[in-house]
Amino acid sequence: MEFPTKVIGDKAYIRVTSDLDTETAGEALRSAFNEVYEQGKRTIVLDLSGAQIINSYGIGKVLMCYKRLKAENGVLMVKPLDGFVKETFELLMLDKLLPIDDSNGQ
Amino acid sequence: MSVGVNPPSILLADGNEQSRQMFGSFFAGRGWSYDVVPDSSSMAGALERGTYDIIIADVALSGPDSAKVLREILEKHPSQAIIAVSPNATYEDALTMFRSGATDLLARPIDFSWLERVVQQIVFSRRNDERERATYRFVTSERTEMRFSCADVVQVSSISLPLVGRLAQSGMLSHTEALKIRLAVQEAVLNGLEHGNLELDSQWKEEIGQDGSDKFSSVRKERLADPSYGDRYVYVTLQFSDGSLEITVRDEGKGFLNSKVFQANGKVDSLACSGRGLALMSSAVDEVRFGKNGSVVTMIKRLRERKSTEDYGS
Repeated sequence: MEFPTKVIGDKAYIRVTSDLDTETAGEALRSAFNEVYEQGKRTIVLDLSGAQIINSYGIGKVLMCYKRLKAENGVLMVKPLDGFVKETFELLMLDKLLPIDDSNGQ
Repeated sequence: MSVGVNPPSILLADGNEQSRQMFGSFFAGRGWSYDVVPDSSSMAGALERGTYDIIIADVALSGPDSAKVLREILEKHPSQAIIAVSPNATYEDALTMFRSGATDLLARPIDFSWLERVVQQIVFSRRNDERERATYRFVTSERTEMRFSCADVVQVSSISLPLVGRLAQSGMLSHTEALKIRLAVQEAVLNGLEHGNLELDSQWKEEIGQDGSDKFSSVRKERLADPSYGDRYVYVTLQFSDGSLEITVRDEGKGFLNSKVFQANGKVDSLACSGRGLALMSSAVDEVRFGKNGSVVTMIKRLRERKSTEDYGS
């Protein structure tokens, strides 16, 4: 499983194309993140519209990305969320941590 | 294949008058009941007023985006069967409609013998489901016991809970509640595996190497291969009775509960690499109890009233 990435200007986008609740999906996110991180991108946007479900494992991977960026004054953003994923972000207060990218990128 | 005494009920959404007449005479000739709507907004309206075994919808309906309307219909009626009709059944049409939840795709000109087979298969399956639901209203208690080895937990990406599915079909849980319970059980089983059986320390998630991997993941891999950890089991028991569902998840470790990561008020530190699973579990049920320092987790969900008898078969 691979999540597609795209770079537009200073921002890199990662499109999560499956539910984020398994080790395989978590690894796909880590790998996509590493790819753009190693290109020097420090503003990375996750598009989670392809995920209907996220569990603590998936959240853990998202936060790992957040922490790596924060350590280098970078920022992890998310495209506008909906459904269960949005509800989970709100429950865990991640909506306060990860700004929304509502530009038309990707 | 017989669909019994209850003939198929169909909602046809088609903007073309000639096509509507053709479908109509085919349905009528087989004794199927059907309603006809010409656009996507009246399709949504028809679903507010009644229920149908199958929606047959043209991909090029006028009105609001029909793919979006179908997705909204499926959010409200997750088991609704939908057959999309396309003038030429292109790859793009197929992709759009399947992503919107269509069960099948029908190309024009219509092959009516194929349509008849598909309708009968769908309705046969729906009637079986209806019979199961109708029977389930007499069930006053049910118990399921499951056992997972550590290797099973790693391999099984999502745990199927048929009992929870039956409670949702009977109206005692909403589909969202059922989804949350499935995920809560998954969280509890994963906690039982990692923090119970494999005795992994959450703080190891914070220790990240140069390659982006963490100590938690590497020790997890080692211990899964070590029989003194990897041969332990996680046990799940679901008991439905007296209007509530009680789920118990037990592991064979020493207990993982750590009051530092899960405070009494149920709030979690969103930045900590632990405690989120427990928060997700708490949000899915009415009560979460821990025993034996966390090696036994009991979750209790109070159930809704069942659907009334006349709701069955609809």
